[in-house]
Amino acid sequence: MKVRNFSIIAHIDHGKSTLADRLLHATKAVDQRTGRDQMLDSMDLERERGITIKSSAVTVTHEFKGETYQLNFIDTPGHVDFTYEVSRALTACEGAVLVVDSTQGVQAQTVANAYLAVDNDLELIPVVNKIDLPAADPDGVAMEIEQVLGLPAEDAIYVSAKSGKGIPELLDAICDEFPDPPPATTDKLRALIFDSNYDDYRGVVVFVRVFDGELKVGDKIRMMGTGRTFTVTELGRYTPFPEKLKRIGQGEVGYMVAAIKTLGDVRVGDTVTLEHDAAREALPGYEEPKQMVFCDFYPATGSEGGGKRSDFESLREAVERLHINDASFTYEVQHSEALGFGFRCGFLGLLHMDIVQERLEREGGVDIVQTAPTVSYMVDLNDGSTVEIHNPADLPDMSKVQAIREPMVKIEVICPEENIGDLMKLAEGRRGIFKGQRYVSDTRQILDYELPLAEIIYDFYDKLKSITRGYGTMDYEIIGYEVENLARVEILINGAPVEALSLICHRSNAEYRSRLILQKLRKQIDRHQFEIPLQAAIGGKIIARETIKALRKNVTAKCYGGDVTRKRKLLEKQKEGKKRMKNVGSVNIPQEAFMAVLEQED
Amino acid sequence: MDDPPSIPLPLGRDRRDDLSPHLRDARPEAIYAHVPFCRHKCHYCDFYSLVDQRDRQPAFVDRLLREADRLKELTRLDGVETIFVGGGTPTLLDPPLLARTLRSIRSLATRPPQEFTVEANPETVTAEVAQTLRDSGVDRVSMGCQSFHPDHLKTLERWHDPACVPIAVDHLRNAGIQRVSLDLIFGIPGSTLEDWLGDLETALALDPAHLSCYGLVFEPATPLVEKRRLGTIAPIDEDLEAEMFEATRERLVAAGFEQYEISNWAKPGERCRHNLVYWRNGDWLGLGPAAAGHLRGVRYRQVPRLEEWLDSTPPAPVVDLERAEPSVQRGERWMMGLRLRDGMPRDVVESLLEDDPARRLVVKRHLEAGRLEWRDERLRISDGALVVADLVVSDLVVPDGVVPDGVVPDGAVPDGVRPDETLNP
Repeated sequence: MKVRNFSIIAHIDHGKSTLADRLLHATKAVDQRTGRDQMLDSMDLERERGITIKSSAVTVTHEFKGETYQLNFIDTPGHVDFTYEVSRALTACEGAVLVVDSTQGVQAQTVANAYLAVDNDLELIPVVNKIDLPAADPDGVAMEIEQVLGLPAEDAIYVSAKSGKGIPELLDAICDEFPDPPPATTDKLRALIFDSNYDDYRGVVVFVRVFDGELKVGDKIRMMGTGRTFTVTELGRYTPFPEKLKRIGQGEVGYMVAAIKTLGDVRVGDTVTLEHDAAREALPGYEEPKQMVFCDFYPATGSEGGGKRSDFESLREAVERLHINDASFTYEVQHSEALGFGFRCGFLGLLHMDIVQERLEREGGVDIVQTAPTVSYMVDLNDGSTVEIHNPADLPDMSKVQAIREPMVKIEVICPEENIGDLMKLAEGRRGIFKGQRYVSDTRQILDYELPLAEIIYDFYDKLKSITRGYGTMDYEIIGYEVENLARVEILINGAPVEALSLICHRSNAEYRSRLILQKLRKQIDRHQFEIPLQAAIGGKIIARETIKALRKNVTAKCYGGDVTRKRKLLEKQKEGKKRMKNVGSVNIPQEAFMAVLEQED
Repeated sequence: MDDPPSIPLPLGRDRRDDLSPHLRDARPEAIYAHVPFCRHKCHYCDFYSLVDQRDRQPAFVDRLLREADRLKELTRLDGVETIFVGGGTPTLLDPPLLARTLRSIRSLATRPPQEFTVEANPETVTAEVAQTLRDSGVDRVSMGCQSFHPDHLKTLERWHDPACVPIAVDHLRNAGIQRVSLDLIFGIPGSTLEDWLGDLETALALDPAHLSCYGLVFEPATPLVEKRRLGTIAPIDEDLEAEMFEATRERLVAAGFEQYEISNWAKPGERCRHNLVYWRNGDWLGLGPAAAGHLRGVRYRQVPRLEEWLDSTPPAPVVDLERAEPSVQRGERWMMGLRLRDGMPRDVVESLLEDDPARRLVVKRHLEAGRLEWRDERLRISDGALVVADLVVSDLVVPDGVVPDGVVPDGAVPDGVRPDETLNP
């Protein structure tokens, strides 16, 4: 049987899932009878144990020109922060179906994903989707694909995943145009891990593509990157119902269960080989997951002890629970003078951070206070060593620092032509360096910029969306670290530095940023019985100052006999409110003040 | 007449208590009677009052008289020295009913009271009402003027014509009531310092014996608060309000008044003895719907629904009956006692601080910060700290909270680090 390993890649909401479903329906399961039985089994299992079985690779068959083809459809993670994971999934393929919505046209992630596929030497089949919609412009969109990606417009297949139109042609093209898996280059087992997920019942389920040799049940295996060894207890594939196999052959795709307890033991991109007959070299391209964006999560309500379980304990449980399912974020206990106990977490990117926060709140049932995100900085010291920091408070004494490097990103923005000017202004206001400008169509353009990651982690995307009234799309990619003229800005309230408010920023806009922060603090902090200076300082030098005037108000207007109880309770309530605030340098700072620093204005 | 505003009144909890056991051992020094009728509900007012329905006045008076008789049986009234009839608008009662009411209340006191005050709205004080008051033994009238500016009165939904204030004062004086107090409110949205100083001058020209000057408070569940929420009115700047307060002190002292309480000024010998009972934590008996009382550490409020009160057999059921814990009671004594400009005598302070290290520390810190001071063996809030009296008091009401270390009083604040100075803490 001929084998085709492929992915579907698309910009978000361009119809990837619907198309995948449609392809599965239009084909036959490898063994329909078994499949049916197993479907029932697995559904019972799900019902009984509340397990969700997620499949990252589905195997189906298709007849083409009298031959049966095994089609292995490999799913890719849905968002840009998982560029590395997407690239590993694509490595497991020989071809990719590039889906573009015929009403939306080429978008930022279309381009980014197409480039990733090309980098992995994949064959591409362009598909113009949603052609049944009234606003569809398939010819125009096919032209955009040719213009931007150089794929001839006449090669595009027009499809309606909803009605099924064009699906048979697409299946034929997959069999016809995508190449066979390449032959083995060694007789030793080499299988690429391209995804994994956690199943309460079986532990970690690993998805592999066998490049060389074959993988069998009972094999003692070794992960070449992490060095961990396991024994294979189960192999199989989803058709889309799980079907157990004795072996996964060369060029094929499937899942593996090997009594692996946590996702932390498995790294996407790692190579599986045999413990006692190991390959000499791992497959190329393995990287450790790299967290680029950091922020703190604190319980929104501050109880740290008391009779019932504390909010911090609830948060801890939620974080640990989620980490079993997503090993790509990191966490460590953090204590902030201002916000109590929480966790400093690291994420692959901005969206990843949002997703983790949302899942913690939704699945873990905890309310979270999130601090301003920061990026990871490389600090080169005078003694030649380098430390990585992801908290402004950890920055070493500047007299020991030779240089601070910050992560840079390449962004690609696709937007209507009339917004180009405003977007350039936005990017340049964020230290962006113009790299290029291309036409997608008569009315839309691609803008390329390089700029520091730190400049896009606050609200860049929101600003982009509002400038383009929702039509602009963006993709970014981390391209490395660069030395920048950075400084730590300390915020002092009534003369006392407040660690949780300090930030690292470029000297050129430190004063401006500081002033905005101080102005926000001034609004958030109540007037006290004394004047409160708010200051921003770099290395002891004050760069901005605001003042909260002393409180001068006689709120004790009248108080007679009938007012005593109510008045007393009012004072108690006010006092209670103050207790929830953080007292720093004699000043009561409400939690909101720490959040206010998050928003950035232009 | 307008419809009454549909604002929920503080109706108390559902629980009703019997006051009788507490009346048995009590010997109040003052009586407060509440007349809940108003011609119109003012938009800043959170007192219990009903827009007048004249048909209920006789029933109200009958019931009040029965309550007075019953209380006479239940408690000792030989210590009563002051009576205060408030509202509402007591002077809205028809003169014959007013006379009956006042005489009955006055007769509660075993000995003739040393002070008998009635609250009045200027537009209700006719010559007949003034004479009725005098004939009923009233020797002091507290009149709600609030402002002499029609537009500011309108903001408060106060409907009287300012021109009727001097007329009312004349009627009272002609009837022989010399002790006239005027209530004024500063900090009304839209008012200026000049407006306020003008109000003070107008009031002083009437030669009152006593003035109550309140900063406007946005009381919960009043139309004023709703208007603020809707944005139709905005509170004045707090610095301006503080300025008005300071200007009041300066002007009234120059006019021969003493500020004897945070919001009250009196000519020598003209302090309100009744209100002093409240501030000194004395005992007083309440009469009428919604009237509060305090008897030997028990605070209570009579049932605040007119119908329920009318239907009840005296003594009226009470709501919010509370004997606070000793520590809470001490907090209330601080809260009230420090309102007096004479402050609290050293022996009282010492007895309050005995076995109360937390409050002792609060007092020490505020003394060090200059917000409290000893004067003539009495502890009081210093002049400079009057505008932040609430903060000092709240530290004493809840002494376990955050007491800032090393805070310094207004004016003596080290200016912090200036821009471009090197930080060297």
